[in-house]
Amino acid sequence: MTPDSRRYLPPEALARIGHLELRARAVVEGVLAGLHKSPYRGQSVEFLQHREYVRGDDLRRVDWKVWARQDRLYVKEFEEETNLRLTLVVDCSASMDYRGLGAALSKYECASTVAASLAWLALSHGDAVGCAAFDDRVRAAVPARTSRSHLASVVGVLAAPRGRGDHPAEATSLLPVLRSLAESLPRRGLVIIVSDLLGDRDGLVPGLRRLRARDHDVAILHVLDDDELDFPFDGPTRFEGLEGLDEIACNPRAFRDGYLEALGEYLSRTRQQAAALDCDYELIRTREPVGAALVRFLARRASLVA
Amino acid sequence: MTAFDFPSLVWWGLPLAAVPLFIHLINLLRHRRVPFAAIEFLLASQRKYRTRVLLRQLILLALRTAAVVGLVLMLAQPRWRTALGSFFGGGRAVHVVVLDDSASMRDRSSGGGLGDTTAYDRGRAAAARIVADLAAAARPAQVAVARSSALAARTPAPSQDPQSAGRDDGGRDVLPAATRVPEETAPAGAGSDAAVPPERDRRGADDPGGSFDLPLQAATPATAGRVADELDRRPASFRATNPAVAIDAALPILTAGSGTERVLWLVSDFRTRDWGVASDVAAATRRLAEAGVTVRFIDCGATTEAVAGNLTVERLEVVGGVPAAGVLVPLEVSVRNDGVREVQDVTIVLREDGSSRPGARLAAIPPGGAASARFDVRFAAAGSHLVEAELPSDVLDADNARVAVVDVAERAAVLVIDGDPRGDGRTGDAFHVATALAPGAGAATGVLPRVESPRALATLDLDGFDSIWLLDVPRLDPPEIAALEAYARDGGGVVFFTGPRTQADAVNRLLHRGGEGVFPLALAGPVDLPGKAASDPVPDIVVEDHPVVAVLAGRRNPLLDAVRVDRVMAAAPLAAKAEADGGIRRLLSLRTGAPLVVEREYGRGTVVAVLSTAAPTWNNWSRGNPSWVVVLLELEGHLARGRRRGAEWIVGEPAAIRIDDATDGTEVDVTTPPDGQVIRLTAIAAAAGRTEILLPPTESPGAYAARWIGLDGDDHERTIAVNVDPREGRLERVGREGLAAALPGVAFTLESAAALGGESDRAGGLPLMRPLLALLAAVLVAEQLLALVAGYHPVAPRSARRAARPA
Repeated sequence: MTPDSRRYLPPEALARIGHLELRARAVVEGVLAGLHKSPYRGQSVEFLQHREYVRGDDLRRVDWKVWARQDRLYVKEFEEETNLRLTLVVDCSASMDYRGLGAALSKYECASTVAASLAWLALSHGDAVGCAAFDDRVRAAVPARTSRSHLASVVGVLAAPRGRGDHPAEATSLLPVLRSLAESLPRRGLVIIVSDLLGDRDGLVPGLRRLRARDHDVAILHVLDDDELDFPFDGPTRFEGLEGLDEIACNPRAFRDGYLEALGEYLSRTRQQAAALDCDYELIRTREPVGAALVRFLARRASLVA
Repeated sequence: MTAFDFPSLVWWGLPLAAVPLFIHLINLLRHRRVPFAAIEFLLASQRKYRTRVLLRQLILLALRTAAVVGLVLMLAQPRWRTALGSFFGGGRAVHVVVLDDSASMRDRSSGGGLGDTTAYDRGRAAAARIVADLAAAARPAQVAVARSSALAARTPAPSQDPQSAGRDDGGRDVLPAATRVPEETAPAGAGSDAAVPPERDRRGADDPGGSFDLPLQAATPATAGRVADELDRRPASFRATNPAVAIDAALPILTAGSGTERVLWLVSDFRTRDWGVASDVAAATRRLAEAGVTVRFIDCGATTEAVAGNLTVERLEVVGGVPAAGVLVPLEVSVRNDGVREVQDVTIVLREDGSSRPGARLAAIPPGGAASARFDVRFAAAGSHLVEAELPSDVLDADNARVAVVDVAERAAVLVIDGDPRGDGRTGDAFHVATALAPGAGAATGVLPRVESPRALATLDLDGFDSIWLLDVPRLDPPEIAALEAYARDGGGVVFFTGPRTQADAVNRLLHRGGEGVFPLALAGPVDLPGKAASDPVPDIVVEDHPVVAVLAGRRNPLLDAVRVDRVMAAAPLAAKAEADGGIRRLLSLRTGAPLVVEREYGRGTVVAVLSTAAPTWNNWSRGNPSWVVVLLELEGHLARGRRRGAEWIVGEPAAIRIDDATDGTEVDVTTPPDGQVIRLTAIAAAAGRTEILLPPTESPGAYAARWIGLDGDDHERTIAVNVDPREGRLERVGREGLAAALPGVAFTLESAAALGGESDRAGGLPLMRPLLALLAAVLVAEQLLALVAGYHPVAPRSARRAARPA
């Protein structure tokens, strides 16, 4: 395990998820072998080669057509055994850099942890995991693979936009990013968007529609800092926007109610829009344990499957 | 209009009202910079709530500013001073300043020595300062200023019974106040007010503010200036004013109206003599306190408690003899030492009718005591003669001089009522009395005896006689008794000689009447004196302690040893009880212990009873014994002293001058001291057929000479002496402890006139403290509520609340 993977895979989160045994959604994602039922059974299997039957091979994998022509028993070997293609879409825009007073992680750090945890979980079950980091465009991406070593690639994508420093963080532009993802993903699968959804609020719904049009199962992990949700600021403060030139000097106590009201409306609307498009939605606070947030998310999906 | 108890706090505190604004501006400059992602929602909130937030902030700022202003105003203790405020809160503050201007205020004591300023100077400045402070204060006040002498002239002293005439404790004649303050008969057209307080001429006695130098009015700078000018114009009086009179006069003004704050400022020298525990002034002060008046004493006495020694001419009077032309008249001058050290070798300057005469000398006067010197004066002509005595200057000059008027007659007429209808020639009682009083040529006693029958008591004008002698009169008719008793009550002297014709029953029933009549004691009847052996050395007559027989007292007198008493009129047993009660005083006693000559006061006069005969019938005293003449002449002088003292008055009293040989309406010119100004008064008919003039209360000591043309067409003159009350010379200060002892339970403050600060301004108007406090509390509550609404108050997570909950 690379240092980066240690950074993004907190042991307590992994331990809690391991105890619950991930139950993936059967309807959309399929089930890992022996645990899941999948409506897409066999379609995702890619033939690799034939080899001679040996004792102990599963008779169901014997290629009876070859036995009929050649009267010899061969079994089929497939390149990959998976029913799920998980694509993690992580927001790395400037707004994700925000870290509230007393918070351990910035929003991006929290989002990266969540994404890496999901990747590790999926890979441990043999599912294919791809990842893309974006702001106004896709900044880094890896295609879906099932290899456990692929986790390092995923982690590399998550680290690259913040660590390289070859470009400044830009404002979020969801629509072009989601549109390009919808077109580039070869097969339908599970797309998890990890973002604060700030900036391009109008592009979310069209982007989700594109993904849903390609029959992708879409889940939104909405990461917000506790300070953004509770607005505990006091005293004369000059707020400076992270994704633009906006700034406001005010007594935050005076505008707290209005702020919370506007934010509450936005969150409610976003949740409704996600539900309307049959997308999962989960709000994650940066100060809550990542493992707890993942368990809540996965438990919700499990209940939907059951 | 609003005023403040502490106006300077307003000026210092009101700028603090800008503090909230300053804090707000400073906060604007020190904004914390916070990068924030969700600023779009904050902008949305600002767009939506900008107006509301701005309004809320303005209200909050206004509330905080109001809280600061309210706190400052509350500390400054505002009062509402409009008429409406006075209506609600009784905000009118009334101050009455009473300045003691009695004679003792002329005291020049300073640090135990002689200073440049008098206590009155300091008191005058203090009074002016009080009014100036009240005028300068931000808060309005009403103030009245009066001198105690002016108030005393309006009101009779509380210790005096206004309905009764009599004799004061100094033996002087006093008139009923209704007689001495004859407002309705006050002389019209008085030519001068040099010796008369002008207030009395133009103000009624029932006007509570009429005697005030400054009647009650708003205290303004102009008022303060007027008070200062008025007081500068008024020197200290020579009166002996009772502070209680001034306090009682001020009380109606202080208690008039409702809901006022009332302050009495008494500026005085606070002498011990005025502030006894049970004194009138203590009672008056207690009445003030009970009426809710704040009592503030301003002490303008000497800066030290030790008062320099002060000598006072306490007494100057004829002490015997008969003041008749060409007759030596003995006078006595008495000087009291009110210092703490003995004073030696005191020279008294004496003057007769303005001319110097050899002075008197006192070798030593003990501290707190008095010494006397006697001197004889012979006046060549009849009339009123002045005798003056004056001491060297000391801390109080007002009591250093004294004047006495000696009314000298050609002959002092004495009425001798002979009870013997036959008039027994040279053997009768009348002969022996008349011969003793007027021995004849070569022995001028100044007495002119006139022997009459008892009927003369009812027919003659008894007022013209120095004394009346009744010699063994068997019986008097009621008109005669009435005339005799009226004469005695009016200050006349009466002598009864008893004898064989005296009927004890008639005397007891008609003249004694159980003590109500003029005869001093009840009689039991004639008795013989028990005989004694020829070798018995005890004389029949024993001399008692009495000024009439003082010349015979002391060593054994051979003249008295020769007196033999055979028979006397015994006193009834009840007389012993009257004697024990103090009503009867003995002059002479018998060797048996029984009384021989007794005296009793009757009205303002004196009555003497001799329980034996004047003629050598029951005794041999008048038979060639020189002591008989001496005792009778002393007795005549003693009996007449009351009438002679009637010409002496105290400054401030409304004196009466008897006008002889005149009628009602006779115009009289009165020359007044000190500058001899003349006022014209009109004589009025008085009681007992007299004619007199009534002087308004006098202001200056000295001789007041009345001149008029009598019915006979001749010029007449009568003079009275007006002196400073010698008690004014007692300069001992009462001090704070003494005042506290005199005024138990009475709240007062005692401040030195020299240390009088500018804090004389006391509260007036409706106090706004409480409403302001309530308003301030409301503002603070509103501010807190608004701040609570506008602020953010994080709620602890449920888990934390659970942990904090007790198990």
